Amino acid sequence: MNGLRKVLERFLEIVCIALMVGLAVIVVVAVIYRTAGSSLSWYDEVAAIMLAWLTYYGAALAALRRAHLGFPGLYAASPPALRLPMLIAGDALFIGFFLILGWYGWQVIVLLYGDTLVSIPWVLVSFTQSVIPIGCALITLCHLVTLPERFREARLGLALHDEEHEAIEAAMRDTETNR
Amino acid sequence: MIVLGMLLALAVLVLINVPIAVAIGVIAAVAMVEKGGMDNLFSAATTMFDGTTKFSLIAIPLFVLAGAIMNTSGISRRLIAFASALLGFIKGGLAMVNVGTSMFFAEISGSAVADVAAIGSILMPAMEKKGYPKEFAAAITSSSASLAIIIPPSIPMILYAVMSGSSVVQLFVAGIVPGIIGALGLMLVSYWFAVRYNFPVEEVFHLRRVWQTFKDAAWAFLLPIIILGGIFGGFVTATEGAGLAVVAALFIGLVIYRELDIRHLHTALIDGAVQTAVVMLLVATSALLGRYLTESRLPQELAQSIIELTDNPYLILAMMNLLFLVLGCFLHGAAAIILVVPIVLPIVNAVGLDLVHFGLIVTLNLAIGQQTPPVASVLITACSIAKADVWAVTKVNVYFIGVLAAVLLLVTYVPIIPLALVELFYR
Repeated sequence: MNGLRKVLERFLEIVCIALMVGLAVIVVVAVIYRTAGSSLSWYDEVAAIMLAWLTYYGAALAALRRAHLGFPGLYAASPPALRLPMLIAGDALFIGFFLILGWYGWQVIVLLYGDTLVSIPWVLVSFTQSVIPIGCALITLCHLVTLPERFREARLGLALHDEEHEAIEAAMRDTETNR
Repeated sequence: MIVLGMLLALAVLVLINVPIAVAIGVIAAVAMVEKGGMDNLFSAATTMFDGTTKFSLIAIPLFVLAGAIMNTSGISRRLIAFASALLGFIKGGLAMVNVGTSMFFAEISGSAVADVAAIGSILMPAMEKKGYPKEFAAAITSSSASLAIIIPPSIPMILYAVMSGSSVVQLFVAGIVPGIIGALGLMLVSYWFAVRYNFPVEEVFHLRRVWQTFKDAAWAFLLPIIILGGIFGGFVTATEGAGLAVVAALFIGLVIYRELDIRHLHTALIDGAVQTAVVMLLVATSALLGRYLTESRLPQELAQSIIELTDNPYLILAMMNLLFLVLGCFLHGAAAIILVVPIVLPIVNAVGLDLVHFGLIVTLNLAIGQQTPPVASVLITACSIAKADVWAVTKVNVYFIGVLAAVLLLVTYVPIIPLALVELFYR
């Protein structure tokens, strides 16, 4: 499981960095072109699609890091006997939602096959929207990878790792650099 | 009744620790299936995708990235040196420096957690060394960092603009005066603490020292000029301004100061991507909920029933403030905006409130929400860096929260405070 986690983490980190850097580059290049008097026709459509991709791939990485926003207060304060059913119910909803969404996302791709982007006619819409089924599958997989540790925490009543801790850990990483 | 049932179901899911974005998505999907059968889920997939392709939202990852680059390129250290030369002669000087630097940093980073990390990690240990109680250091750092979402650029304002269809630029401009009032208020309370507990003066005022530190930090001062000047002057959009901020921060970090730490930048990029995706997934699932609510006209019905009770805008604003203050204690700011704004918007429109004015009210409420446990990411980050107890810090922070609450009341009931500059330049 650890090996799979590392591979997933590495892959998602590379994709997310590429998308973040790509977004910044595209936006700046577009400003330069516009200032020079020739606007890029494809810029807003491509940048918006990159943001959608960043949403899904980043959400998968956030699932792996357990960084999605939530309110774990009541869950954390509950006894293990109550936590387990909460965990199972919550996970069933989480996984069910993304599997169903991914399935319908796939159906949409099949339906839209042949349609192209408005500004770049040689790019298929089904390619840009492929992020829905792929992203949903990755989010589900990343969530499942964290299941053993979440199950252990629920059973033993260990401290929870949540988005607040993730934000604090990120801030502390910044702190180390500033020191 | 249906809205109440949906909110209740949402609360149950959130309480059993389902991520808020997923809880919203599940409730919306169930409502859509109930209304139009399983076929409605075809549009669910595309609605979520389309919800994330809003051009203005691209500013979010770019501002996060610009903040991360600044954090790691020595800009915060130079800003602190300048603020210290300028304000350090006042009793309790380091507290003033803290507020002054946050105020400046807020203009660039757009994230209060980034501010706490950048400024707090330098100033809080320094304050402790000079004899300030660590609880006070954490409280003033945390509260002044919340200025980051009042003073432009501001990520919550971008989210609000997208959810409400109002102008990002006008929201940014509207935040300037309340931000300055907030900063002066925080300084005043810090001074009161300094006199009462005899906090030291940081350094003697020397014009030459002010000039030296200003020269050293001058490149950093160019950043808000480029970003805000470009956006307010109408040369670039907020998104493009954020893109320029990335380039300017990179240029200053790599070429001018030559302190950019690439390894740290790599981590910051990943953290920024995760931070963005977490907010954007909320935007995506709320697009689903928004579509259902629009089709069923539930918010309009809710607005109608509230208007039947009272159409007094002051009373409605008081109710909104209460709602957002309570939500701010339990929900992350982004989640509160994304979830609540589309529902309350018809009420706001029905009583004729200005959308920019209301946006400032929402943003200020969320700034207070960042300071009120249990969910208070900025406060908790400050406490973690200062290694101080959250409740002990909160006892001191109550005074600073009082300042933010006073600004909130001013903004709520004296609309000219946030709207004066907007009226002057844009209407």
